[in-house]
Amino acid sequence: MEKFILDFIKKTENAIEKISTLEIAKAIHIIEETYERDGRIYIFGNGGSLALATHWVSDFNKTVFSHNLEKNIRRFQAIRIPTTEEELTAWANDVGYDMVFAGPLKNYLKETDCAIAISSSGNSENIIKAVELCKKNNIPIIGLSGFDGGKLYKLADAKLHIPTTKGEYGVVESAHGLLLHLITNYFKDYFDDKK
Amino acid sequence: MIITRSPLRISFVGGGTDLPKFYKQYPGRVISTTMDKYVYIALNKNVFNKDFILKYSITEMVRDPIDIKNTRFQAAINEYFQNFDKPLEISSVADLPSRTGLGSSSSFSCALIKALLALQGENASKEKIAQEACRLEIDILKEPIGKQDQYAAAYGGLNIIQFNPDESVVVEPVLIDFKQLNIFNSHLSLFYTGMTRSASVVLAKQQTKITEQLETYKKMSESVYDFKNYLLNNNYRKIAEILHEGWLRKKSLSDNISNSQIDSIYEFALNHGAWGGKILGAGNGGCLLFISEPTKKEELKTELEIYTRSLGINEFEEIPFRFVQSGTDILFNNS
Repeated sequence: MEKFILDFIKKTENAIEKISTLEIAKAIHIIEETYERDGRIYIFGNGGSLALATHWVSDFNKTVFSHNLEKNIRRFQAIRIPTTEEELTAWANDVGYDMVFAGPLKNYLKETDCAIAISSSGNSENIIKAVELCKKNNIPIIGLSGFDGGKLYKLADAKLHIPTTKGEYGVVESAHGLLLHLITNYFKDYFDDKK
Repeated sequence: MIITRSPLRISFVGGGTDLPKFYKQYPGRVISTTMDKYVYIALNKNVFNKDFILKYSITEMVRDPIDIKNTRFQAAINEYFQNFDKPLEISSVADLPSRTGLGSSSSFSCALIKALLALQGENASKEKIAQEACRLEIDILKEPIGKQDQYAAAYGGLNIIQFNPDESVVVEPVLIDFKQLNIFNSHLSLFYTGMTRSASVVLAKQQTKITEQLETYKKMSESVYDFKNYLLNNNYRKIAEILHEGWLRKKSLSDNISNSQIDSIYEFALNHGAWGGKILGAGNGGCLLFISEPTKKEELKTELEIYTRSLGINEFEEIPFRFVQSGTDILFNNS
């Protein structure tokens, strides 16, 4: 039992150590720029990654910004795509699973925005379709990937990559959770500091 | 309607090494940041009017783009807009006056090109905007200027920008968090001297002497790394020294970079709390930047205001500013 526990912790530690600080800084810059031009952040993922996306959105919208609404007339929103289960199932049922993110995103996306895509393999077809839509419109992309990074690693402007052997979902998703909390903490300070 | 904007920039060291006479021989480098003062472009398709309407410090109404007086408007419309039957109305609005040494001309070009490309349905990348602004100003309009302002405005943020002999340009962001940036910001004071000048006139003279002063330029190009390291270590006294040395070097390059009034204001500031500083832009007017203890800024400002008034410079004024991350952006587009 102890070996199993320590192995998992060790694997996660090793993965976290390999995260590029340069790429995290780039991701933070992308979000700062988006705020300055009054844009929005869109975030999406499948399964556990969708749970991470929703968790991050609730943290970001509440923890980061809600206590600054009185002193700051500017607003800033993070939005999970799709925003409702109804939209998700409608796109999946009527058009196909590959369009559950790109389909709804097309209606939201403006030149001022940025996107955060989460995919452990970096190759989920529906994620890549949405990322390609962003690329086509020069929307900056923060890509959270694992394993060998896949296509998402190649396409992302800020590459938040957790290198692991293929299939290490637990390790990758844990590290993604840590990265998203890091971003939340940075911006909590950032907005508290804005006068 | 399309609305775009580009930030103005503060260039710390390396200005002049972005001129081709230098970077063709040795890589040029500057370290600069963008600030929360912008040039805005609002562009609209005229539905009934047959004239092009251009609003900046004056208003132009012309049927044929060939008659546009503003060279940048004319060149940009020629390059990025073909449908002359449906003319455009374009307004330019800026937070600060032009010719202040904050790169506003290139910020204007970047915002204008971004808007004209957006009209064709393209959200052009930072790299493309910077390259096109250089092409417009340097290749087409033959202005004797460098490439740092176009890249600073298009990319945004605090960067080391390197100009390679093969014409490629590398933009390397300096990774510094907002808290540290705010501390740096709190050491800086920016003043408008009330004197304006054309960068082209200063730079044209400067270019002719680059070959004989190659070693000075090489030192300027190398000093961006010292600046970066001192910045990351919060060593603002050393940064002030670099700015001061850079200012002295720059003055040695050409006799029209400074004038006696600017020299006396600079000396006065150094005797009243400033650790160092520089003139912004090509020189001979524009803005002055100083580094001092944050607690001494207010006193420095008051003393400088009294002194410049005594010299008869009534427009001398502080420009409060904050650093920004954003570059040339589309803010609104319903075209």
